Formats: sequence, structure tokens, C-alpha cells
Amino acid sequence: MNNFTYLRATDVSSAVSLIAANSSQDAAARFLAGGTNLVDLMREGVEKTHALVDITRAPLSDVQELPHGGVRVGALVRNSHLAGHPLIRDRYSLLSQAILNGASAQLRNMATTGGNIMQRTRCYYFYDTASRCNKRAAGSGCDAIEGFNRIHAILGTSPHCIATHPSDMCVALAALDAIVNVMGPSGERSLPFSEVHRLPGNDPQMDTNLQPGELITSVDLPASAARLSSVYRKVRDRASYAFALVSVAAAIKIDNGVIQEVRLALGGVAHKPWRATIAEQLLRGVAPTSENFVKAAAAELAPAIPRRGNAFKPELAKRTITSVLSELTAKEGAGQ
Amino acid sequence: MDGERINSCLALAIQYEGREILTIEGLTTSGKLHPLQEAFIDQDGFQCGYCTPGQICSAVGMLAEFGQGAPSALTKDGVANGELTEAEVRERMSGNLCRCGAYVGIREAIQHVYRRQIYGGQAR
Repeated sequence: MNNFTYLRATDVSSAVSLIAANSSQDAAARFLAGGTNLVDLMREGVEKTHALVDITRAPLSDVQELPHGGVRVGALVRNSHLAGHPLIRDRYSLLSQAILNGASAQLRNMATTGGNIMQRTRCYYFYDTASRCNKRAAGSGCDAIEGFNRIHAILGTSPHCIATHPSDMCVALAALDAIVNVMGPSGERSLPFSEVHRLPGNDPQMDTNLQPGELITSVDLPASAARLSSVYRKVRDRASYAFALVSVAAAIKIDNGVIQEVRLALGGVAHKPWRATIAEQLLRGVAPTSENFVKAAAAELAPAIPRRGNAFKPELAKRTITSVLSELTAKEGAGQ
Repeated sequence: MDGERINSCLALAIQYEGREILTIEGLTTSGKLHPLQEAFIDQDGFQCGYCTPGQICSAVGMLAEFGQGAPSALTKDGVANGELTEAEVRERMSGNLCRCGAYVGIREAIQHVYRRQIYGGQAR
């Protein structure tokens, strides 16, 4: 039995100071929001914090327009509300689609924007406290690399960890170039979405680049990413309520038969939402043909290291990318 | 919770202090079953019954969400409210598992109540 203290904060600054006051070098207090992942991890004995600071009463539940056409999403906006919000459905339908493809309706009613970003991997070995896991217990080893690894990463892995980030929402946020605003003991700062999550490297116990005690307060969606023609496609072992084997968030702009702008991000393949920058670079300025799509997808997946259980993933990712880009091209053509 | 369905297994009780909680026990008013409870009996919406309280509470929340125009993964852009098709019920209820496999009866019970709400009186 793990005893813990439950504290409540009703604003951001008291939340940050409560965490600081209740954390030490080797024992961190945790922010609690929707609880859909943290409460589960505590029940499973994976997370053993001695103090929770409930932030759900802090005023971070607004979705507001930013001056130059962007949108700011409060960290406590729940996933279902965000997916159904008129501003999001109108300007960032990619985000709405991605959220609605994740979890279940009742989970989306609980889960928050900040919590979705901070959720931890669903690697079976991370959850099973009898297994070796470098993410859960640094230096203990990784039972996934030689184990059941159907759902595991193929890009950006390390010899210490092949876990994936499980979020759908974050794949869309990566494609949209979102900005994450945080508040910590030393003040406010903003991180580009691509710098929020880390690759496992030698420190897989660290999921993100947030500093100890920092709290996500909001996520900004830039005006430049608004109203793009976009698709989120998720491939999984059942039609609904399952994590992605591979997912693709894509947006494209075609002018005079040439790709002017393309955004491509993958889920289910890496320790972080994977922005497919190699493929994007190859696609910019060329004709939207299936040959070019196949070539770009192949280049993106060339560095993939598949394992016994997920040898199908590179090919699945390539085909999904190609198929989604073709769908978008047809959509663009029909719209013009 | 406050009219929205959530997973009780992931809800830390103290977080919900002062909020309105409705469980399966609260659906029956003065000894009369909720229409969804009756429909689950009429349409064979269960076998062992283990998942039934969750299925029914979830369905109550789902019908309210649908009525308010909440989108699902199947909802096409701009149309947040059409007919509650079989596919929509399956998608919107996917968070409730039934290991007996009473899904067909569960879906029929929900659609039965939905049609009665929409078309009134006699179910089609």
C-alpha cells in the first residue's frame, strides 16, 4: 500500500509552488488532472508518488482565439470538448479527427489536453512491475526488445528502450507545429511541439523535456496551420478503442500541380510523435504523384529498425503514408 | 458525473467531491425501470450481466452526447448530428466491452430507445 497526500490548487502559481514545496531530489509530487493515466499507473504500482496536487479547479479550461488567427487551448480543456469545439472543427479538423480516434468517449470526457501530452507509454513491460524496464527503473534493462513488441517503436529507438508514445492527439499537434506553454518554479516558457517529447537515448526514464515541477498551462495552434486540407488515419488491431499500430496525420497544399506545403507526422512508431521531416523535404516542390509519395515514404522509413513482433510496421507505415497522401491529393483536386 | 459519462475505475473519488454522480442505482425512479434498462431486458442486451451497469450508464451518457451534437470519429465535418446509425452506436459505445458478446442485443436496445425518443411512443 502506497500512502499519498492529496492537495488541491485553484490557480497555476499555487499549483507550481505546491509541487515545489512537496518535492525533493528523489521524491517528486505529481500534478493530477483527468487522472486517466496517472491514477491507473498508481493502481498498478508503476507510479509511487507520495503527493498529488489536483489542478482541475484551476482556470485552464478555455479555448480562445489568438490575435493573429491562431487558437489557444487551455491545459485542462478535456479531449471531448476540444474535439467538438467549433473553432477546432472549423480550423484544425486534423486535431479533432485525431482526438476522436483515440481512447473511448468516456475517457475523452475525463482526459485533458495537458494530460494527453504527458501520458506515459503503454508498453506492457513498463506496466508489469515484474519485468525489466529502463523507463520504469533506470538501468534495469529492457524486456521489450526481445519480447512481445508488436506495438513498439521502429524509429528513433535506442538499445535501452523501444517504447512508443501512445497519443493520437499529439500526432496532430506535431503536424500542426503547436506551441506548448509551461509554467515552472523559474517562470514561464514556450516549447515548439517537436521539442516537448524526447527520444529514449540513454535516459528513457525521461519522456519529455519539461523540467521538474513545470506545468503545461496551454497549447497554441498557429494561424499558419489553420484550415489545411488534412486527414488523420489510424491503423489498429480493432476498429475502435485500441492504440495505433501506425497512424498518419497529414496536411497538404497543392498549387499548379506542385506540392506547395506538406505536413506529415506518424504515431505508433516512435518514443515521440514522429514528424516525417525527410519525407516532407522530398515532397515539397514536386508533383503529387504516387511515385513521389512512395519514394518519400521509403526514405522516411529507411532508418527503421523493426523487431520480431513488429516487422510489418515499416511497410504498413509506408503504405499508410502513400494512401493518405493520395486521398488528400484527390480531395484537393475535387476542391479546386 | 455532472451529466457526462466517465470511467469510475479511473476516477479518484476525492477529486469529485461536490459533483453530481449518477450510477445505475439512480436510474430507477420510484421503482420504475429506466427505458434503457427495460430495453436491455426486452432485447437480450446481456448474458452474465457483469458489464450491464456500465453499458447502460454509458448508453445514457452517449444518447445525451449524441443529442447535443457531440461528434464521433465517424462524424463527417460539419455534420455533428444525423441519424444514430448502427455504425455510430458501435463507435460511440466502443469503450464498453462485453466478454459474453451480447453486443447485438446491446446495440438493438440502444437504438430501440433512441428511436422511441426521436419518433415518440411506438418504436419502429
